[in-house]
Amino acid sequence: MTFSVTRFRSLIVAALLILLSAGVVVFSIYLVGLDHEVRARFAGARWALPAQVYSAPLELYPGQNLDADTLRHELERLGYRSMAEPDGPGTFEITRDQALINTRDFKFWDGEQAALKLSLRLAPAGITGVNDATTGKPMDIVRLDPLLIGSIYPQQGEDRVLVKLSDVPPMLTKGLVAVEDRSFYSHYGVSPKAIFRAAFANLRAGHVVQGGSTLTQQLVKNFFLNSAQTWDRKFKEVFMALLLEAHYSKDEIMEAYLNEVHLGQDGNRAVHGFGLGAQFYFNKPLNELRSHEIALLVGLVKGPSFYNPRRNEARAKARRDLVLQIFRDEGLIDDNEYKSAIERPLGLAGKGGGVDRYPAFVDLVKRQLKGQYQESDLTNDGLRIFTTLDPRTQEALEKEITDGLPQLEQQRRMKPDTLEAAGVVTSVDGGEVLALVGSRETRFPGFNRALDSRRSIGSLAKPFLYLTALSRPQQYNLHTILPDEPIQLTLPNKDVWEPHNYDKQLHGPQPLYMALAQSYNLPTVALGLQIGPPAVMETLHAAGYTGDAAAVPSIFLGAVDIAPVEVAQMYATLAASGYQSPLSAIREVETKEGQPLSRYPIKVKQTLPEGPVYLTTWAMRHVMTLGTARSVYNVISPDVVLAGKTGTTDELRDSWFAGFGADRVAVVWVGRDDYKPMGLTGASGALQIWTKVMHDINVRGLDVTPPADVVEQLTDPVTGLRADEGCTGAISVPYMQGYAPNDAAPCAKSASPVDSAVDWLKGIFK
Amino acid sequence: MKQGIKLAILALAVVAAGCQTVHGRRETNQPPSAPPVSRPLPAAPSGTPAPVIVPESQSPQAMPLPPPKALPNYPKSADEISGGAVLSLLRQAQAARSAGRYDQAAAALERAQRIEPRNYFVWSSLAGTYLLQKNYDQAISVAQKASSLARGNVYVEQENWRVIRDARSASGDIDGAALAQSRIDAIQQLLQSAAPATP
Repeated sequence: MTFSVTRFRSLIVAALLILLSAGVVVFSIYLVGLDHEVRARFAGARWALPAQVYSAPLELYPGQNLDADTLRHELERLGYRSMAEPDGPGTFEITRDQALINTRDFKFWDGEQAALKLSLRLAPAGITGVNDATTGKPMDIVRLDPLLIGSIYPQQGEDRVLVKLSDVPPMLTKGLVAVEDRSFYSHYGVSPKAIFRAAFANLRAGHVVQGGSTLTQQLVKNFFLNSAQTWDRKFKEVFMALLLEAHYSKDEIMEAYLNEVHLGQDGNRAVHGFGLGAQFYFNKPLNELRSHEIALLVGLVKGPSFYNPRRNEARAKARRDLVLQIFRDEGLIDDNEYKSAIERPLGLAGKGGGVDRYPAFVDLVKRQLKGQYQESDLTNDGLRIFTTLDPRTQEALEKEITDGLPQLEQQRRMKPDTLEAAGVVTSVDGGEVLALVGSRETRFPGFNRALDSRRSIGSLAKPFLYLTALSRPQQYNLHTILPDEPIQLTLPNKDVWEPHNYDKQLHGPQPLYMALAQSYNLPTVALGLQIGPPAVMETLHAAGYTGDAAAVPSIFLGAVDIAPVEVAQMYATLAASGYQSPLSAIREVETKEGQPLSRYPIKVKQTLPEGPVYLTTWAMRHVMTLGTARSVYNVISPDVVLAGKTGTTDELRDSWFAGFGADRVAVVWVGRDDYKPMGLTGASGALQIWTKVMHDINVRGLDVTPPADVVEQLTDPVTGLRADEGCTGAISVPYMQGYAPNDAAPCAKSASPVDSAVDWLKGIFK
Repeated sequence: MKQGIKLAILALAVVAAGCQTVHGRRETNQPPSAPPVSRPLPAAPSGTPAPVIVPESQSPQAMPLPPPKALPNYPKSADEISGGAVLSLLRQAQAARSAGRYDQAAAALERAQRIEPRNYFVWSSLAGTYLLQKNYDQAISVAQKASSLARGNVYVEQENWRVIRDARSASGDIDGAALAQSRIDAIQQLLQSAAPATP
């Protein structure tokens, strides 16, 4: 019996020992596995980093047309703080005739712009001097840091802007430790004391009021594990935290935490890390945050949705003030600072501030990158993308569209939100897209009409038809008389096409330029039939049309569906005297370390003949001065020479205006998504918005110097023949050299054989 | 006889060009005080017109003999028409070019171009930079655009023709390079025989 008992005992002990050893072995294997996982995922690139998209930087230089108010607005958009005595990067002070700006440093791909203390002299006309305020040295030109306008993150994805621990204000890390994990710098990953304290507090309260998780555990939970609250997950969390602490320093863990933490939600996009948090809530870099702003972010860690400052302002403020109290108790701020900090409002940047401001433009950027970069390159590699977006121009275009549509709806007694619109502004020489709006909801990344809404362009096609004719100077000039008579055309399918003028009237024979200025359809079709649809189609393509519409007579009146951005390309080719630059939204792409990846240099190719383009532009100037768009000079000074064209389609379904000055091309479309008529012509709809945009951006007037192969000659408006001072109402008309009318008009006094060098030249050629 | 006529034409053209107002900056609103009648075009061949007319068709072999009276006072260097910011960027570009950093040079010139979009010295320098980058197509196109903006400024045109000549010969277009050279020769003869207007 004894024997058997002893034997039984030793058996149990043996079994237990075996079990224990087996347990140790299994547990060791488990730990080794965990250890491997921790090290593998924590080494190297820890996060998929969305590409960051920047606007064009603002350049400051003497002579720049930037008044005090505009400068203030530009700096505030960049998140610069106005203060009586600028202190630290991102601060400024503007008085009537002077500005002091402490700029931020920024690493551009072609060199670093160091942080500077700048002193600017301001006059109503703009900046008259830029000096280094420290040395007093005059400076030729300074770039400010560009605006972060968005990022390219995966669907349902995490977005973040990485920060280095060395760039993080100590108040943030110390405050975070004080609020979330007091023993962070002494524990080994878990804090039994904290767990007991939390358990005790929770018991006393009867529900969960405290979490016992250390920052390390929180990091493990967010970084390695899913959010399921199970026992084995909790178990795993503890051991992973211990392993993490065994392998990595407190600073490394802190830096990872600062970048991992979830701080908010913006639609599908999750805002992670304090770097993006600072941008998302305050539109500033992290190192420029003040105590109350840091306190808000630290407070958000506990529950970014519960304390969402944009939804629950009072709750967020209470939490912030509690955090500020801890900051004071810890000696991070003194009592004075505490008292003034709790008086401050939350100070949030506008809705969606700092990020994702311009979804339509970023959409264009993505499409331009497509083909060159994989989707995952853009969402994972933290690329820095420098774009051509000009925030000032974008703001003007957005404002005039969002203000203009309700006005048009009211005037025409339409229901609100009936109309939609799209707009594009580009530079003339260089083809940079400066602004793009794809919807009246400019912050909503929906249907991008600027890129995807291909609509009939109506009379916007006419300049290309007239250009085709004017490229045949032996047959046509600006004063060629065109018939304004009814036309019936039997099409190949036996349909009869019978175009009309917009006003259903006949106006008698018209000089070519006047037919374009007044947008008469019948003279246009008559001219088109003479030169033929294929020649017109060739010009449309040369200007930048990429579609495959058939070359049939209806294209004379613009029965071609084209997206606004492509219309902008076509008009930009005209604006650049025929020297086409393919539109681009990007200047440079670099890696997150700052290595250049691709550059998008200016490209130029002459695709349209310069002289005839000049003549066409001359006719388009008359659209503005005496034609369908003359209302433009009610708003813009008549000294500013502009050229453009109205576009109106059948039954007023589309209202277009496209035109340019010396430095800017703009295209605006207004219409309905359901293609129903809306009662607006190009002039009564799109032109109204276009005019205000061009006014807001101070468009420069066209240079009216003709190119070398164009001559100007006084012309008798009645006969189109050569006029002189004897003719009343004679106008100076440009002609291709060698093709100005030779015969004197009846009104001309002179009939002398050699009265101009041009005549004499032609005598020789005959 | 034919040659004589051509010479006469060119002389006349230069005289007529003398009437032309030189606009340094291109963004003016003032109309030109006189129509420019420089560079006569021979009659274009009639028939179907090509939609793209490249200025190449102008007679390149014309050579001036009779000394013309005066050449317009065209700006010879960027200093005469550029603001301080653009000059500074032009200097940066020059320094980058000398150091062989052509991308940097092009970037500085693009910044300058955004400030003064029609400054033909900037475009001309960009053409030269593209040539150094062995981007011959763009060097030629940008040089042509620079000449277009220069509106008859022979100094800038001469520089642009040099770029075009070198780009063409580097890309194997021997005839085109010779044509460009003949334009340079013509301009040089013009410059030698023309006493510039009093500065």
